[in-house]
Amino acid sequence: MIRALVIYCHPLLGAYNEAVREAALAGLSSAAEEIRVTDLYADGFNPEATTLDSDGRCVLGDDPLLVGYAADLAWCDTLVLIYPTWWAGQPAMLKGWIDRVWVEGVAWESAEGPEKRQPLLGNIKRLVAISTHGSSKSVNMLEGEGGKRTFTRGLAKMCHRRARTTWLALYGIDTSSLSDRESFLAKVERQLSRLP
Amino acid sequence: MLVALILAHPQGDSYCHSLAERAAAGLRAGGHEVVVVDLYGQGFRAAMTGEERSAYHGDEPICDPLVEASADLIGRAEALVFVYPTWWTGLPAILKGWLERVMVPGVAFRFDERSGKVRPALSNIRHIVGVSTYEETHSAVRITNDNGRRTITRALRVNCGFRTRTHWFGIFDVFDKSDLERREFAGRVERELTELR
Repeated sequence: MIRALVIYCHPLLGAYNEAVREAALAGLSSAAEEIRVTDLYADGFNPEATTLDSDGRCVLGDDPLLVGYAADLAWCDTLVLIYPTWWAGQPAMLKGWIDRVWVEGVAWESAEGPEKRQPLLGNIKRLVAISTHGSSKSVNMLEGEGGKRTFTRGLAKMCHRRARTTWLALYGIDTSSLSDRESFLAKVERQLSRLP
Repeated sequence: MLVALILAHPQGDSYCHSLAERAAAGLRAGGHEVVVVDLYGQGFRAAMTGEERSAYHGDEPICDPLVEASADLIGRAEALVFVYPTWWTGLPAILKGWLERVMVPGVAFRFDERSGKVRPALSNIRHIVGVSTYEETHSAVRITNDNGRRTITRALRVNCGFRTRTHWFGIFDVFDKSDLERREFAGRVERELTELR
């Protein structure tokens, strides 16, 4: 049984991403011993970097919201991100969560040598990103899929040495049909129920 | 030409701020007019609000005077210069949020009425320039991919004209660089931007 942390990011009530979240939670309910859900907009999280060290690097600070977010990261073994891809990447709200929470002492510690960051989140063995894209797969490839790379190559590197990543994407949502969207929800539920 | 310089570092005494000053000095020496948009300085909010998301596909997607001012500037500018620290291989949240909230339908692109596909609307932009500091070494950035640069030189670039040129200045391993190396890099940014035509 897994311990899943779900980070949800969408500003609108009733958004399709909300249905994605519910499908993910339905899938996780059979696979997880415990689920924690963070809704960044509902929490009123501020993504702007406001607590920094003298070099200009983000630090966690003592804001209880951020301290709690960091504790959740240290607690889970499965991390699930649910968000719309905007401008080829994570929305600013979610990027701010990465900038401000995945800091030194939480996600990594400094080390000598070419790998300057030694991972601290060895407890996370599985990362899942579920994202909707307005444009087609080919347009996203042209734009470089930066968000996917931040996820698979950036975040995953701070987790367990053999952490696995799963990318569940619905491309071309702007021109999708109802059945496209429904089958994506079914896919999300099915995949998450099969974790780990 | 009119140049919009977007600066995204929270500390006024940061190296990014001095890079922005040098970039602006170079551009002004080249005879260009530079308007600096200091995102933290003006209190720009990073997160797109629910109200903005609801309005996104409508006739008036802009609901904030700061966003309006940036959008108005982008409509008149011929060059965009971005100065920011690369965080987590990408744009800091505040700059990502600026793209999301300012580069909306009618400003950066429009939806084609028949196909629903995105069509570019930034044909006035002749140059896109990025100046970024990186905590990682150049080889580490290559492995994870320079996603901030990709977002600007690809995702934003496709909304400009065919002839829009991109220019990139990166200083890697920035915390281990000496003062001399930092000054040399700033000097190169200033010098090369003087030549922008």
